[in-house]
Amino acid sequence: MMRATPWQTGEICGPDAAKALTKAAQLKRDWRKTKKPLMIVGSQAPSIKHGRGDMVDYSIELSKAAKIPIVATGGAVKAFIERGFEDAKSMGAMELVGYLQDPTWKGPHGKGPHDMILTHSMQYYMEWTLLSGVMNFARHIVPVSLSRFYQPHATWSMPNLKEKNYRDLLKEILEFLGGSK
Amino acid sequence: MKKKAYIKADEAETSMGVFKGLEVRIGQIIDDEWDEPMGPTPMPGPTTLRSWDHKLLTKYTASYMPYCQVCCLCTMGKCDLSGDKRGACGLDMRGQQGRIVLAAANIGCSAHLAHSRHLIDYLIEEYGPRTRLIQGPGTEIHAPVSRLVTGMRPRTLEDASIILDYCETQLAHTLSATSTGQEGSWMDFESKVFHVGMIDQLSMEIADLAQVSTLGMPQADPDAPLVESGIGMIDTNKAVILTIGHNIIPAASITDYVTEKGLYDQVEVGGMCCTAWDMTRRDQKAKVIGPISWQLRYVRSGQADVVVVDEQCVRTDIVSEAKKVSTPVISTSDKAVMGLPDRSDDPVDSIIEELVSGKIPGAYISDHHKVGIIATRVALAVKPARRRKRFFPSAKKIQQLAQDCKKCMECVRACPNDQNVQEAVLAAQTGNMELLREVYNNCIGCVRCESACPNDYALHSWMAAVSQDSFKNETHVVRTGRGAVQDTEIRRVGQPIVFGEIPGIVAHVGCANYPGGGKDVHDMAEEFAKRRFIIVTSGCAAISAGHVKDENGQSIYERRSGEFDAGCVVNMGSCVANSHIAGAAIKIAAIFAKRNLRGNYAEIADYIHNRVGAVGISWGAMSQKAVAIAAGFWRLGVPVIVGPHGSKYRRMFLGRADRDRDWIVYDARTGERMYTAPGPEHLFYAAETVAEANVLTAKLCIRPNDTAKGRSIKLSHYVDLHERYMGFFPEDVWKYIRRNNDIPITLKDKILAQMKENKWKERPIPDPTMLKEQIFTGGEK
Repeated sequence: MMRATPWQTGEICGPDAAKALTKAAQLKRDWRKTKKPLMIVGSQAPSIKHGRGDMVDYSIELSKAAKIPIVATGGAVKAFIERGFEDAKSMGAMELVGYLQDPTWKGPHGKGPHDMILTHSMQYYMEWTLLSGVMNFARHIVPVSLSRFYQPHATWSMPNLKEKNYRDLLKEILEFLGGSK
Repeated sequence: MKKKAYIKADEAETSMGVFKGLEVRIGQIIDDEWDEPMGPTPMPGPTTLRSWDHKLLTKYTASYMPYCQVCCLCTMGKCDLSGDKRGACGLDMRGQQGRIVLAAANIGCSAHLAHSRHLIDYLIEEYGPRTRLIQGPGTEIHAPVSRLVTGMRPRTLEDASIILDYCETQLAHTLSATSTGQEGSWMDFESKVFHVGMIDQLSMEIADLAQVSTLGMPQADPDAPLVESGIGMIDTNKAVILTIGHNIIPAASITDYVTEKGLYDQVEVGGMCCTAWDMTRRDQKAKVIGPISWQLRYVRSGQADVVVVDEQCVRTDIVSEAKKVSTPVISTSDKAVMGLPDRSDDPVDSIIEELVSGKIPGAYISDHHKVGIIATRVALAVKPARRRKRFFPSAKKIQQLAQDCKKCMECVRACPNDQNVQEAVLAAQTGNMELLREVYNNCIGCVRCESACPNDYALHSWMAAVSQDSFKNETHVVRTGRGAVQDTEIRRVGQPIVFGEIPGIVAHVGCANYPGGGKDVHDMAEEFAKRRFIIVTSGCAAISAGHVKDENGQSIYERRSGEFDAGCVVNMGSCVANSHIAGAAIKIAAIFAKRNLRGNYAEIADYIHNRVGAVGISWGAMSQKAVAIAAGFWRLGVPVIVGPHGSKYRRMFLGRADRDRDWIVYDARTGERMYTAPGPEHLFYAAETVAEANVLTAKLCIRPNDTAKGRSIKLSHYVDLHERYMGFFPEDVWKYIRRNNDIPITLKDKILAQMKENKWKERPIPDPTMLKEQIFTGGEK
């Protein structure tokens, strides 16, 4: 197993730390077990390029393919609405930390309680703190970070990938989650 | 109220003989001139207000986000607290997080309290213990925080000292609770966080009251002077003295000396952080240079001929940084000696000679009377040679050095704002300095990029070097700190605030750890001032708010009134003037609702929480002091928003809008328990973006007591901002409608549809209170 280090070098944690996610198939076991995933898309999604679009486009594609509801944070929901995607809900990242700790919470779409979250496109340190709250106090949830840089508080996180490798892995994840359930 | 009696005489002739330097303290005397009855909690101890704290902490749950899962504070550890494990002392993860926050709040409070103590002791020494404390005209209810917390109305420096005695005792108690084997419950840790926050607020009030009373600062003055601000305002044809920190006393010694000797045509005195505000409050020839995060860019520019540091927020590597540009440093505070030789008792001329010659890089001088003369004479002496030197590298040199970049990305990984420093360096290889300039604009000056760079590039200097045109354009006019709010101003706005017709008071306070530059603070302040909220500022946020010009070249302070009223932007002053923001909210309860303040904390906090739509924003909150300041507001029930870096405080206080039972209050008229809307929804919240902060600010101003007109106005702002920043009509507006006349007319159709869809039912507007004892019928229905 590859040993990953946090992207911002001071943001170490432990003893629990995320496993490095380098192949989509690594998610197989957890994905098979999950019944109610939730994708949390941060405010930087419209400015992170992906293919010919950005991470908003990717999120929409993944949401449709893998049937994962989206909650957008920090105002990112506006970009989803502008692209005609009406199913994204809006909440604050810190609000989500609080709500996710409640194992009975039905989630922003009323489709919960959620048992897996997939996060990306937030300021590194804010995703870091959000995932810390989930890892420590929402242990009924499997947190997966789809961000490019290693998030130690997730269960699965990419180990600081080069941009091209990141794009490739996102594509692989889209195909895997979209086709494997 | 009991007070100590204190007598001091240089020489006293008695039947027993002649005594020189006589000081006598005699027990305590009673202040029996104040007819306001004493409330239930004068000088509360750590658990006196626990019941009130627990009410708030039940409504707003602590949501923790630990940095790590271990505790390493004693030798039984390290202990792994992950999952449901407990440490060797028995503490669990939540308790440990509460403990860490309490430690941080204690640190923050200690900084303000020690500052306050230094001021009071110094001023007593200078002016005597019986020196009157004067907050200014129209402030009959002076020192509202002191009245509320202690039951005292401090009228002299000696009274102030007694209050600080109390504060110091409380700080010792709350700090002791963090020791291994003391407190064990997260909620009780957090209750003590509130307690030390309240103590912090009290010590800040004492500090500002004392300096305003004695040092010639504006006293509750809506027309506090406009002063020059920004690096471009500093005339480098003169010798430049840079002061950094929070304590006015050494800086006052400098401006007084320069004034006395008529040297302002040869000397510039500029300040950073709160010293800048306090200096310009008493001497408008002094200048504000910038917020705290500008320290290194300015020091490294070499413009400062002498750096004088006092206390708090000073870069701890200031001596080595100043040494790089041969600038002597004078440290003046026992809290920040900085490894310098203690020259306090040496002759002035010998200290000056050693500093000018460079024999010593700086000196610690605790005798403030000497600081002014030494700093001024050294600055004048070293200036001519320094002006011939160039301190920043040339663009050509930067381009040349940049060729060796290892492309390791360590600079980016070290940057708290994830700025692409490496890309900027690579662009510099080709002579394109534009990206370095972009990084400079968002840089908070931490220089972690430099520490990480394997080539030891002076990256921050590079950014500043290629941005010197920006330096020159930093020419702003800002209003210096006014001090307290007058009772007459409160009388005018009290009713419209409590009824909700002035939609809120928004306070921009705190440090400069911004996620994307200081302009955000200005933009947020302007957004709400335009909407006729009352905007107050303090500290570094007050500087950043003033460092943006409009199309007419005016700052926000030039175009908006300094009077505490709708649409104003009022600079209260330095960090310690934050206490006046709390004071204004407290005075609303006293003046508009005629509530007694004296030792009556819980009732007044309950009043403010349910009626006064105030929100604090610290967009660049960085320090432990910011935690303590926020905690003082939390205990008053005032919500606080911080920027995204504030999530690193590791704990939010979050309400649950979907849990109706959390939003039930008593109707004080009948004792009936009634549902209100989730307002204010959260007590402490880190917003990810300005967009989120703006929407939340409008929402957090909603209070159960709003009149129909007030609620309608507040909802209009909330909906408008939500539609603009989130792109859709908010789905929870119906929750805030109590009766049909709460509905903003222009939004009627959409809201009625929402109400119908959610099976809305009309409900009465209570006279809201969370305290059973506030029910008029005594709690009996």
